[in-house]
Amino acid sequence: MKTTAYISTRRPSRSKSGPISAGRWGGRVLLGLFLLVTALLILFPLVVTAFGSFMTNAEISAGGKLIPAVWQFSNYQEAWVQAHFSRFLWNSVFLSAASTVGTLIVASMAAYVVDRMAFPGKVLFVGLQASTMFISIGAVVLRPQFQLMVKLHLHTTLWGVVLILINAHAYIFFILLSFLKGVSRELDEAARIDGCSNAGIYWRILLPLLRPALGVGALFTFCGAWNEYLRPLVFTLNNPELQTLTVGLSYLRYGPSAAVQTHYMFAGACLSILPLLLVYMIANKSFMQMTEGSLKG
Amino acid sequence: MNNLHQIGFSYLFLFPSLLLTGVLGIYPIGWAIWYMFYDYKGYGSASFVGLDNFERLLRDTQFWDSVVNTFIYAGGKLLITIPLSLVLAVILNHSFRGRSTLRAIIFLPTIISSAVMAVVFYIMFNSYNGLLNQYLLKLHLIPERIDWLGPDHAMLTAIIIAIWGAVGNYMLLFLSGLQNIPNDVYESASLDGASRWQQFWHLTVPMLGPVLQIVIMLAIINSLKGYESIMVLTDGGPIGKTEVMYLYVYKLFFPTPSASYTADQQFGYGSAVGFVTAVIVGIITLIYHLMSRRLNHLQ
Repeated sequence: MKTTAYISTRRPSRSKSGPISAGRWGGRVLLGLFLLVTALLILFPLVVTAFGSFMTNAEISAGGKLIPAVWQFSNYQEAWVQAHFSRFLWNSVFLSAASTVGTLIVASMAAYVVDRMAFPGKVLFVGLQASTMFISIGAVVLRPQFQLMVKLHLHTTLWGVVLILINAHAYIFFILLSFLKGVSRELDEAARIDGCSNAGIYWRILLPLLRPALGVGALFTFCGAWNEYLRPLVFTLNNPELQTLTVGLSYLRYGPSAAVQTHYMFAGACLSILPLLLVYMIANKSFMQMTEGSLKG
Repeated sequence: MNNLHQIGFSYLFLFPSLLLTGVLGIYPIGWAIWYMFYDYKGYGSASFVGLDNFERLLRDTQFWDSVVNTFIYAGGKLLITIPLSLVLAVILNHSFRGRSTLRAIIFLPTIISSAVMAVVFYIMFNSYNGLLNQYLLKLHLIPERIDWLGPDHAMLTAIIIAIWGAVGNYMLLFLSGLQNIPNDVYESASLDGASRWQQFWHLTVPMLGPVLQIVIMLAIINSLKGYESIMVLTDGGPIGKTEVMYLYVYKLFFPTPSASYTADQQFGYGSAVGFVTAVIVGIITLIYHLMSRRLNHLQ
């Protein structure tokens, strides 16, 4: 790690430096303070949530304390059973895993033929994929989608939501496509000469080669599905047993006993944040690198 | 291998993607465009009413209030988020100890569900026993409790929460833009004795130009469309103070927990409103696009 500890602005710096190379001490202290305050403001709600999930409800309402007097590990046990978080968690896992697998399969199949094959209408297909990323009329589409799922008898399962989430595969399709462009074609040619079929090339040659890109795609899809709120909400309006973590948690906030369930809300929030936090720490680098076109925020 | 076989195989492999896009992407939009011209409650039969829905929309003060609220929400969010994330990106583009930790911390809110965080913020911003008021009172930063979720401050609270969730994301986008600026530009500027501010204004901002334009456009579209966290936090209340247009559309199709004033589901009218909101977002995007092109010519 290099520091930008060079003093005069008249000498070229050799570190990656923009306008703010080390100036006077006062400036550096201010800068450090600014960064510290920003980091604290970002972390504050998360710290409150983490500690709050170990307090009693009375302790939270009395407030003014950050650290719990007695650590209530039983909060999680109760939230798990009484507030049905075990079911919410399972639903979230199912929804995210199924959407991720489905998205990767659909997107990689499309990316394979678009990159490697010649067929009429290719440009049209790519344009269609691009347009699905940008055209949106908001919640209106949820209604016909819901009615469709009712007709297909999928509205009493989470499969309806899974299909709708897989439908949003354009972004992953483009990631895989740009990655495939960089994969040499010699391998598929060699495999073809050895008598490998098209499907065989996709399955045995390209999917293994695509592994890094598939990993990034999986990360994005899984996180997106895990945090998805509106679609699971709409599809579980009449089926509370299908609620995911995000939906179940928001219902606690509107529940008749919202005021006495604060500690459950905190515990539930922790339960929903923790898995992603672990994934994030493991895959921090890919998160940080693959940000072009991130559509959240 | 022959061509026909290849074409057949291609269509076979595109089939899942095309089927989903057709059934779940294109059909719903067609559905909405069809019902825009109908009076349809979602049960019984739909009757054709021509442009009545659009006439009603012009008179619908609740809708236009929600449009104004959307602009306040999006504008307030962007005015803070864009400069802040740009400054953070410029600072964190330097190497110093703890840089990657700081980046990771600031990016953290991006990976957390906005619905989940809205629940947490609801508890924190609660006016009577909310943690925030208690801390602020303890530190003597405020003389008395602030009603954060009341009619006067609810929008401000929603904006603060939106900023918290967005800064990291845009910081990262700016960072990836900054990676492409060659270092020696700054070195020669330093040699010429340009101050840090001069370098920032005359080098960083212009060279980030294209990235800035795209990111700001994305940010505008996203902030006009975002309503999840408002939905969980206030559900558009109190007294419609935080009602944004996409939330208003949602309520015409689905009942919300605090089913406020849009009493019955109105699919025909809702489709018309949804279509108009999309047009409004499109117009804003276009205006922005034209303005930023003008700026390019001026430079």
